[in-house]
Amino acid sequence: MLVLCAACGQVDDGVDRSEGADGLRGLELEETFEAADFSLLDTQGDRFDFRAETEGALTLLFFGYTHCPDICPVQLSILDAALTDLAYVQRQQVKLVFVTTDPARDTPARLREWLDGFDTSFIGLVGELDRINEIQGEFRLPPAVIDPPHDANAPDAYYVGHATPIIAITGDGQVRALYPSGIRQSDWQHDLPLLLALNSTAAGASGGQ
Amino acid sequence: MQWWCAAQGIPWSWSWRAYPGVWIFVALLGLAYWRFTRNTHVPPQRRTRFALGVATLWIALDWPVGALGAGYLASIHMVQFLLIALLAPPLLIAGLPTAALQRAASVRGVSRLRPLSNPLIALLAFHAIIIATHWPGVVDGLMGSQLGSLGLDLSWLLGGMLFWWPVISPVPHRPRFPFGVRIGYLIVSTVLMTLPYVFLTFAQLPFYATYELAPPVGGLSAGEDQRIAGLVMRLGGGAILWTAIGVLFWQWYRAENALEV
Repeated sequence: MLVLCAACGQVDDGVDRSEGADGLRGLELEETFEAADFSLLDTQGDRFDFRAETEGALTLLFFGYTHCPDICPVQLSILDAALTDLAYVQRQQVKLVFVTTDPARDTPARLREWLDGFDTSFIGLVGELDRINEIQGEFRLPPAVIDPPHDANAPDAYYVGHATPIIAITGDGQVRALYPSGIRQSDWQHDLPLLLALNSTAAGASGGQ
Repeated sequence: MQWWCAAQGIPWSWSWRAYPGVWIFVALLGLAYWRFTRNTHVPPQRRTRFALGVATLWIALDWPVGALGAGYLASIHMVQFLLIALLAPPLLIAGLPTAALQRAASVRGVSRLRPLSNPLIALLAFHAIIIATHWPGVVDGLMGSQLGSLGLDLSWLLGGMLFWWPVISPVPHRPRFPFGVRIGYLIVSTVLMTLPYVFLTFAQLPFYATYELAPPVGGLSAGEDQRIAGLVMRLGGGAILWTAIGVLFWQWYRAENALEV
């Protein structure tokens, strides 16, 4: 199992910026694996079948929560800045799916509002925490852990320990790389064209089968 | 507990935090001033200037400005730079009593430092310090440790003292540089300070990992924060330097008028 969990409150800038075999600065998987086939509700209340909805697109999947004080907003802000720099045609080929690990507080409306603060095209998904943890397991990530409240007078004031990486999945449903916290905009700017090229190759290969 | 503000990577909180190293530093400055001036009559105006200089340093180094600048916002880091390198030094220098400085200048070790007050050397040294201490590798390498952060703050303060000395030149037995030279010196500095401003404001990517990866404060993205940092340097630095230029022009005008009378 990939051990990539970090509770919120710690920024681990342990990113190896030396380029991998195909030049990715993210953590490229030596052996790709099939993305989980799951279904959750989006922020409009509609069912979102992950594999069907993301087929053909380069999908960046992230598990986090809107009250996260550090990792989640930093990861999304950096990724959003890098996505904004992409050409329009390339940008249309990328989907960002954010799954909440804090369904008790992250109502669809709150999640939508929070994601809109970054990019209105970001997709937000909600569901039961047990189910979300199962899905994380299928992506070889550890489950989210709800910490005790950090303010005794406010039972809703708690942190959620969760996996930090953004998962890159090509349009053929293969998990290709992970981007833990510490990834910078320059890293995304370097990797997104490579991931899109990988996505095109994968789409061509799966189309030819 | 930290003794000096450094980047910690923890979420920002508006709860007050103590930085005893800053208090000790400020107290040592006050103590040094007292020892330096205890046998000298110091006009209250000079004491006030020195106290304002120390207060400026205290604001720049302590919570919340020090903590925000050390590990959260590049724009506040730039505010710190302005306070430590451009605002506090002229106040500190203008607060030093001339009689005590005359005594100190006659000490052999101190007199050897005289070449540093040469405007060209001071100008080059100060701007070399600005470039070095705003270099991404240096900032990211130093801001994560308290000693590194202290080193950066001290280099700004010493660089600022070096920079302002030829302008204020409080030692009376040494001839001051002509007004025109001092005004030219400051105008050249406003031009040289444009360089880091351009890099910060118009960069395509965030320069500093420290601020790019820091827990967010105030809803600013790293790019926006960096652009504001550039503007702070340009507008804030410009305001301080052009105010000084204006004061020098006024003094020059009065001096010329006095000669005519």
